[in-house]
Amino acid sequence: MSISMNKSSSGSPKGNGMKFTGKTVFSASANVFVLFLVIAMLIPVAYMIMMSFRTGSEIAQDPLGFPTSLYFGNYINAMDKMNYFRSVVNSLGITLSVTALVSLLGSMAAYPLARRTNGFSKAVIMLVSLGLATPNFVNITPIYIIFRDLGLLDSYVGIIIVFTALNLPLSIFFYTGFISSVPKELEEAARLDNCSNWQIYWHVIRPLLGSATATLSLFVMLMVWNDFIYPLLLLTDESKFTVMISVYRFVGNRSIEPDMLFPAAVLGSLPLLILFGFFQRRILSGVTAGAVK
Amino acid sequence: MNNKLNIYLFTIPALLVLCIFFIYPISLSLQMSFTDFTGVGIGNDVGLKNYERIFSRSRYLDAITITFAFAFIVVVVQNLIGLFFATALFRLPRIRNFSRAALFTPAMMSFVIVGYVWQFIYSPYSGGLNAMLVSIGLESFQRPWLGDPSTALFAITAAHIWMFVGYSCAIFLAGYANIPTDIQEASRLDGASSWQRFCHIEFPLLAPSITINIVLATIGTLKTFELPFIMTGGGPAGATRTLSLEIMTNLFGRYKFGFASALSIVMLIVIVVVVTLMNKYLRNRENNT
Repeated sequence: MSISMNKSSSGSPKGNGMKFTGKTVFSASANVFVLFLVIAMLIPVAYMIMMSFRTGSEIAQDPLGFPTSLYFGNYINAMDKMNYFRSVVNSLGITLSVTALVSLLGSMAAYPLARRTNGFSKAVIMLVSLGLATPNFVNITPIYIIFRDLGLLDSYVGIIIVFTALNLPLSIFFYTGFISSVPKELEEAARLDNCSNWQIYWHVIRPLLGSATATLSLFVMLMVWNDFIYPLLLLTDESKFTVMISVYRFVGNRSIEPDMLFPAAVLGSLPLLILFGFFQRRILSGVTAGAVK
Repeated sequence: MNNKLNIYLFTIPALLVLCIFFIYPISLSLQMSFTDFTGVGIGNDVGLKNYERIFSRSRYLDAITITFAFAFIVVVVQNLIGLFFATALFRLPRIRNFSRAALFTPAMMSFVIVGYVWQFIYSPYSGGLNAMLVSIGLESFQRPWLGDPSTALFAITAAHIWMFVGYSCAIFLAGYANIPTDIQEASRLDGASSWQRFCHIEFPLLAPSITINIVLATIGTLKTFELPFIMTGGGPAGATRTLSLEIMTNLFGRYKFGFASALSIVMLIVIVVVVTLMNKYLRNRENNT
């Protein structure tokens, strides 16, 4: 790690100069060392991408070899058999619907929670935190039965409702924190003009929530794209599959073929990795904002 | 107008959704856990039989032990590595932002894909890990990592840890950012070494992010499902059969809805008790340091 600063500034100029070079040399090697470890952590991602361009027999002959050419045959096969574009469109459509619902319901509920502190708002916040901590497994059996009885198995409506319910606690937390930081003066001015609560919410609060909604939509996207359990439980019609279920159905569970597995893995994660490339600051600050409290 | 009252009406749509899809299912789960419901018709009331079965058969007690072992290993190792990277990166501002994003990248991937990729890395047939061991002259360490009961669980924890080290690191770095700079400056001027500063200043002040990291990782691992499901399906010889896997096999393979519900109620109780105790202990610790 880096070396601490010298105790006092009383050393001779020459001594300081030596300390200075010593520090920079050490710090440069520390930078290189840690960077090396960080890049080592990315090896599995690089491995996944490299292998996706090789044929099964190439991998069997030389498991660690680099691709000799950019062979896209694996990808064409995977895209075709996975029904890739269809499942991407499904995942995106579900994400959009869930984001719309969750941001409306969540911000509405958050408005009174951010502005009033009393027994009622505390009870609601308790309920919401319970919702955040409860594992899906407690609900999957009853949800399967409820949805079956309501005829919502294998429907977009069903899967949208489930993801809305799952993301709602997070969204309420998110907006409550955000609205608390909005100054009350704006509202008070509107109140003097005899605006109703609904008018204040719709015309004063809601327009300010754009940035929070943008962050929230990234988290909804992440969940809809990556979640496996609920789509596995609720969807059997191939044309309604989300991306992860397509990957799972395509690659299967028994004998794993590398020339199917790796292109499917890249296709399944690339869109989110690109999204992360563009919005890493927003995503990372969203992750830590919820956490450091 | 009674503006004071109707502001609470804003919470009603959200509360309705939470009640129908969260509170009601939990109560239904609890109710079903006392029956032998199989998904059709009406289940017979069997009292505590499902629970007795869970706590008297070694199969289910083993699943609980394996779940705890998985959680314990991941929580400890993931947070130690995350803390190491955060502490290093805090001192190395030039590579901090890049490294934080790079380490976080695996957390953007799905469990399904991480499971598949690592399954192949561990594969005895042209998998990456064994090939790498050969290339550095450690042939004798080769093994079917996921097929050997003594290594399978560790192999899965390694994949999980790999996935979430960046998450821990990001939270610890946020904790570092909250340490007032004048405290840092003062200790540096006092001539404290890097290690001394970490032990006496930074580590105690990181207490809140330690709490969050431990609690989040515990919640995340006690319900772990996808990685063992994809990578081993619970094998070999049940060495990676977690509680969640047991719930899913009872649901899908056998339609034992009543028994699966009892297992999920056990899981809920385990998580609530563990997390509550943990939170209490860690918050106390925060206040005492």
